[in-house]
Amino acid sequence: MSARADRTRFEEVVLPQLHAAYNLARWLTRNGHDAEDVVQEACERALKYFDAFRGGDAKAWFLTIVRHACYDWLKRNRPSEIAPGDGSEAIENAADPAMLNPEQAMLRDASSSALAEAIAELPVGYREVLILRELEELPYKDIARVVDIPIGTVMSRLARARALLQRSPLLHAIRDRSAGAER
Amino acid sequence: MNCHEAMPLLAAYSDGELDPVQSAAIEKHVLGCADCAVRRDELASLRSRIRSEVPYYKAPPALHARVKAALARAPDTLPPARPARDRWHWLTAGALAGSAATVFAWFVGSAILDWQVGTDLVAETVANHARATLGNRLIDIASSDRHTVKPWLSARLDYSPPVQDFSADGLPLAGGRLDYLDGHPVATLVYRYREHTIDVFVRPVTGGKPASSPATATLRGFNVVHATGAGMEWWGVSDVSADVLQSLVARLARGPE
Repeated sequence: MSARADRTRFEEVVLPQLHAAYNLARWLTRNGHDAEDVVQEACERALKYFDAFRGGDAKAWFLTIVRHACYDWLKRNRPSEIAPGDGSEAIENAADPAMLNPEQAMLRDASSSALAEAIAELPVGYREVLILRELEELPYKDIARVVDIPIGTVMSRLARARALLQRSPLLHAIRDRSAGAER
Repeated sequence: MNCHEAMPLLAAYSDGELDPVQSAAIEKHVLGCADCAVRRDELASLRSRIRSEVPYYKAPPALHARVKAALARAPDTLPPARPARDRWHWLTAGALAGSAATVFAWFVGSAILDWQVGTDLVAETVANHARATLGNRLIDIASSDRHTVKPWLSARLDYSPPVQDFSADGLPLAGGRLDYLDGHPVATLVYRYREHTIDVFVRPVTGGKPASSPATATLRGFNVVHATGAGMEWWGVSDVSADVLQSLVARLARGPE
């Protein structure tokens, strides 16, 4: 196959996955500008290794590369985020919106919902499986492939991610507040 | 089904990962169990909240343009092989034995090249090995413990390859990798021998092929050894001498001792 035909096929395979790639990168880097850089780098890597793609599920294949690019970015920029540990402290100690100063509280309220905020606070290992499952709607076996873990681990991380969300003070604060308003 | 059985399956049920029989069993159980019904509703409510309150970030139009521009600038895909010089530096370093082994392997290889399997598979195993050693994805699961490597591979394949470590004989297991062979995912065991890397591709025997002793070929300077045994088909690929590769593949094909 000529390099040109190769390039055309690459664009057909990869470009339709750009939204999924950006969404994953945006959730893992938690920043739009960095997510764009990471996705561009992932596209360049994917092109380089395109001869290793033998057809099949383009989304899982490409998201695997995007995830690797995200982790490389995290290693360079936020190494503490990918430190091992189950991260339960991080979420349980997440700031209660009631404790923030008014400016911070306004920033939070304006930018996203409390639930989105709680997901963004999840340790990256839980955040990625949750995003792949709930927003990308990937089946377990594809999540296992993208994150490179056994299916059993996909299930346990999802369960943990959901449990952390349900206990998150960010959510409880909102729930308590709205419960108070109804009274 | 009781709570003890149902509770761990509720998440998989709500994720649509259970087969129809299991799903029906869960639904039947939840009808008569308040605890499991609450748990199921919590999962459903979390999901619907995520869908309605959490943003799906779509790629901005500018990113699309930027990626297309970057691709236009990028060099073409990796060539399948780099100049032989890079790969053979150990040979030019005076490894006379190495070149003798290559000549030997060539002899044996030309004699036995009418394998029951096509030579295109030989080319594919060599291409896989070259790509893995040149790129950065030689090993997916690094471990010398076969009890780590085997379950990792089994979890990703519809078969479970026998895995052995030969550290005691100077051939330590370095890990495992998923690769593709003949259009299917294939278990790949990675061994080290001195400075060399050895890939062994393992897949179940098809069509009732009998056990066969190792056959050897050489392609682009790599030795390839094929054998069947222990219910599997084995392909060893490396730049080590053919006799080392043959003995490794023969031991694997004999099955665990």
